[in-house]
Amino acid sequence: MNEYDEKWEEQINALLDGELSSADADLLKAEASDDRELARAIIEAYQLQKAMDAIRVERAPDSLRKRLRAIPRQQRPAPVFRILQPRWVMALAAIPLVVFSVSLMQPEEPSAQEIAKARQDLAIAFAYLDKAGQFTGQEIESTVGNTMSDAIAGSVIRNIKSQNETSKENEA
Amino acid sequence: MKLAIFKTLMIGVLCALFSMPVMAQEDALKGLDGFIDFGDLSATYGEPKISINIGGTLLQFVSMMSEEGDPETSEILSQLKGVRVFGYPIVDDASVAKQKFGEVKNTLKSKGWEPVVQVNEENEQVLIYMKMNGTAMEGMTVMTVDDEEVMFINIIGKLDPKQLGKVMNGFDVHIDDAIGLD
Repeated sequence: MNEYDEKWEEQINALLDGELSSADADLLKAEASDDRELARAIIEAYQLQKAMDAIRVERAPDSLRKRLRAIPRQQRPAPVFRILQPRWVMALAAIPLVVFSVSLMQPEEPSAQEIAKARQDLAIAFAYLDKAGQFTGQEIESTVGNTMSDAIAGSVIRNIKSQNETSKENEA
Repeated sequence: MKLAIFKTLMIGVLCALFSMPVMAQEDALKGLDGFIDFGDLSATYGEPKISINIGGTLLQFVSMMSEEGDPETSEILSQLKGVRVFGYPIVDDASVAKQKFGEVKNTLKSKGWEPVVQVNEENEQVLIYMKMNGTAMEGMTVMTVDDEEVMFINIIGKLDPKQLGKVMNGFDVHIDDAIGLD
């Protein structure tokens, strides 16, 4: 459709819809009297409109409308058994598993006895370090210097001696 | 279609849930840089004379318990992630223990541990290695073997050797009887 056709189509539609001003309508009619193609287009559009107006939209009977409205409801699954669908069964089954897993992952607070035992174990562990330090004291001093020597074989040994003295005092 | 996606998701979630407790039960220390696997000598020397394995959680609780009475010890313990000690009595032959020494020593070297002290005497060997990350200590391993026992000690975390004495002060336990220092 060229620009010429588009222009007349808009004019014809406006004329048939009664939206064209009387001046424009007269102008269109005058043009159509000289232009056979335009005149034919106006007549065909007029006839088409008359034919469309002749078509009646029949209202469906009430009984049919009710049945049509009921179709979506009939196709829905019955809500009573929704909880038994596999996904919900799986989800419900997973709940105790989740609770169990989370409880296992929680750091369990140790008892007072466990903490006391840990303290004693730590003391023993460090005592073994000290024991190694005693033996290696001179080696450490000659290898890595006085600082480390004092650290491992000095202060710790003093500490062990202190503990020994304390324990002997307690025994006395 | 939606159910298939849901099933796939549920399988994934269930697999993750099953694996989490297993992971939680595993020794968390094994993943740390300061951890060293000493193996098992029980086939040769029987049940260990001493077996200590204190993890980070318990250390944190001990640290918290010491916070009020001895904040210095608490601070030191808070930087430790694990303490492990394994000791076996040697009844007849120390050669298996000495062989294990060599194996662990090679492992330490291959993992970038630095030797601090190495004593090789006729009747006693002592090895002290440290794992450093820059200037920060990640672990200390001490191994001793003599004619009577073999000991493996693994400290995971930061421990300044100078602070050992302070830690000892924090524990009111008699250690001499426990390890036979007298």
